Amino acid sequence: MKRKLLSVILSSAMAVTLLTGCGGGSSTPDAAADTSSEAAESTVEESAESTEDTGAAAAEEEAAAAPAGDGSVYLLNFKPESDQQWKDLAAIYTEQTGVEVNVLTAAEGTYSTTLQAELAKDEAPTIFNIGNVTAAQTWNDYTYDLSGTALYDHLSDKSLVINYDGKVAAVANCYECYGIIYNKTILNDYCSVEGAVISSVDDIKDFATLKAVAEDINNRVDEINDALGTNLTGAFASAGLDSGSSWRFSGHLAGVALYYEFLDAGCDLVAGQGEIEGKYLDNFKNVWDMYVSTSSADPKTLEGGTYNAEMEFGMGEAVFFQNGNWEYAALTNPDNGYEVTDEDLGMMPIYFGVDDANEGLCVGTENYWAVNSKASEEDIAATLAFLEWVITSDEGRNSITNEMGLSAPFDTFTGDYESENAFVRDNNKYMADGKTAVAWSFNATPNVDDWRADVVAALTAYTNGSGDWDAVKTAFVDGWATQWQLAEEAK
Amino acid sequence: MEKAIKRYFPIFVLPTMIAFFIGFIAPFVYGIFLSFCKFTTVVDWEWVGFSNYTRIFYVNGKLDTTFLHSLWYTTLFTAVSVLIINIVSFSIAMALTKGIKGTNIFRTVFFMPNLIGGIVLSYIWLMLFNSVLAHFSKTIVSTQWYAFWGLIIVVCWQQIGYMMIIYVAGIQNIPGDLIEAAKIDGANNLQLLRNVTLPMLMPTITVCTFLTLTNGFKLFDQNLALTGGNPGKMSQLLALNIYDTMYGTTGWQGVGQAKAVIFFILVALIALAQNKLSTSKEVQS
Repeated sequence: MKRKLLSVILSSAMAVTLLTGCGGGSSTPDAAADTSSEAAESTVEESAESTEDTGAAAAEEEAAAAPAGDGSVYLLNFKPESDQQWKDLAAIYTEQTGVEVNVLTAAEGTYSTTLQAELAKDEAPTIFNIGNVTAAQTWNDYTYDLSGTALYDHLSDKSLVINYDGKVAAVANCYECYGIIYNKTILNDYCSVEGAVISSVDDIKDFATLKAVAEDINNRVDEINDALGTNLTGAFASAGLDSGSSWRFSGHLAGVALYYEFLDAGCDLVAGQGEIEGKYLDNFKNVWDMYVSTSSADPKTLEGGTYNAEMEFGMGEAVFFQNGNWEYAALTNPDNGYEVTDEDLGMMPIYFGVDDANEGLCVGTENYWAVNSKASEEDIAATLAFLEWVITSDEGRNSITNEMGLSAPFDTFTGDYESENAFVRDNNKYMADGKTAVAWSFNATPNVDDWRADVVAALTAYTNGSGDWDAVKTAFVDGWATQWQLAEEAK
Repeated sequence: MEKAIKRYFPIFVLPTMIAFFIGFIAPFVYGIFLSFCKFTTVVDWEWVGFSNYTRIFYVNGKLDTTFLHSLWYTTLFTAVSVLIINIVSFSIAMALTKGIKGTNIFRTVFFMPNLIGGIVLSYIWLMLFNSVLAHFSKTIVSTQWYAFWGLIIVVCWQQIGYMMIIYVAGIQNIPGDLIEAAKIDGANNLQLLRNVTLPMLMPTITVCTFLTLTNGFKLFDQNLALTGGNPGKMSQLLALNIYDTMYGTTGWQGVGQAKAVIFFILVALIALAQNKLSTSKEVQS
């Protein structure tokens, strides 16, 4: 009997660990917070500086930071690739001003997890990244109104902010553009091949021409390889539907369809609306079909994660590749051993068959700085001063433009600090020609991970032949309404 | 002496109890509390009652089957993996206690997969699966059943060696005279297995089924790395489904927590039932 009792106790103890293991991500930081909050409360009562109607968490911050006098800065960095640059920049700032700057970078794909855990701590981040309106909603209690700050004043395009709940919740720290990356050299050479459907790259001005070129290259790939000495396997790089690549289509390509729909509806182009009808889904389908049918990848295995579109384009195996200007660094980095060079790289709009004559590249960002409103006043002041220094000082501007390779949307980035990115150059050219930049309408996506997962699942089924296009429509249109409603409820 | 120990019992046990309280009891109770709240970070909550629990099944006035799907998918996965792992590891253990040449090498080799982390292991298997399946124009996430058998293969490959070691220890503990006596009485191999080895092994079987059962229910790493829940959310096991709800859907942290509570109750009940069932079959030699 005793032995049985022991085994029951032991097995239930083990089962308890299951739950704590599961909920651990959220529960464990709390144990620490609980004990410290009690200690902090007494201090708060004495200082009684808290003027804002913030919760217990803010009171903790206040108490923790008050004795130090001056504030400190804690940046939770979003981009793993620029971790070292931010740390260097922080060190320089601390050396110059004596203000402490901490930088923590979340590992790829774990930003929201890390942010959730870090914000619950006493020493919470004072600067964090939010990507879209949904994130602004999630973190509404934590975003400081940035209107009237130097950061906002220096912003050259005031549309590059997230407005939520009557405040400027976040300000873009870079802007990006995406479209169809093409290999200039190969495409130029192709024009001279006998029977080419265009005589110059500039002839590609609409979807029909682009499609004709892609099909011609794909159908005569061996002939073209013989004539040009290239090693093409198809026209477009593979359209992988695995999680490392599917966002190019469920996010960026879908964004163009959403853009035109929002444009017709007259609503805010990046905030969107609750109901969509999928007006331009046929155009989406045409472009998608072109991607799949003019690439060498097997349409039945696109979801497997075995394709590497960047490598195919980089090694000159494909002429076209839908992606953004952030690919510039990877494509030209000598460590990657790619064959393409700066001169080969060009970007054209994703011609969608709607308003091709005026369509430019898709310009926007998913990288916005938000300042933690629950930090102490000293910390907020120190944080705003740090951000201003980053965008106005030589060290900061040099780091952002030349080391991180970003295109900053601030009026202080002139002369030596203008971007050298080939794709950004192309974007500037399109803008000078009077084309209209396509806004990043996909930033309006409600519950973005869930919505995209459903769209990708339907798109995968359609592409490998186990489903039909109607399911994609349903996931796209009905899924939007469902997720929008859920997001509204969660407010 | 014994009296003194009894008197000072609370003092001796205090450090452990404090650690246990901070490490298990407090977060556990707080976790249950949070499942009745709407929260973004754990210090910022708002009481909402049972609405998190209803939202697991009813969304926008419609029945949402994602959680139920992952529930039966997980149950099936656990049942199949418990059966395969235990039968195969028991067979290997039997073979490796016969004193054949190279027993130690075999044991080491079979045990090794268990030393590799779940994520790394799954990525390696992902490459293997996909490069083989590519010949048939399929991938590991083509349908939920490809994902299912993929997970089964990886988990079996990883856990069979571990369970084998436990079985080997159990088999070696069976007194030799008992087996000898049975043989003298004229028992054949099958009778020996059914009437001597298996009853004597019941404690070991209890341990192994318990481990494989709970491992099956709470499997996460392999699920995340091998299938990521694809296609759609069709191959999401419970743990991944909870994680996905917690971090993937805005404002649903509370629902994720509620799912975790249901998950706990379920696993605790099954583990207790299994324990009771197999301990009742144990015999004394």
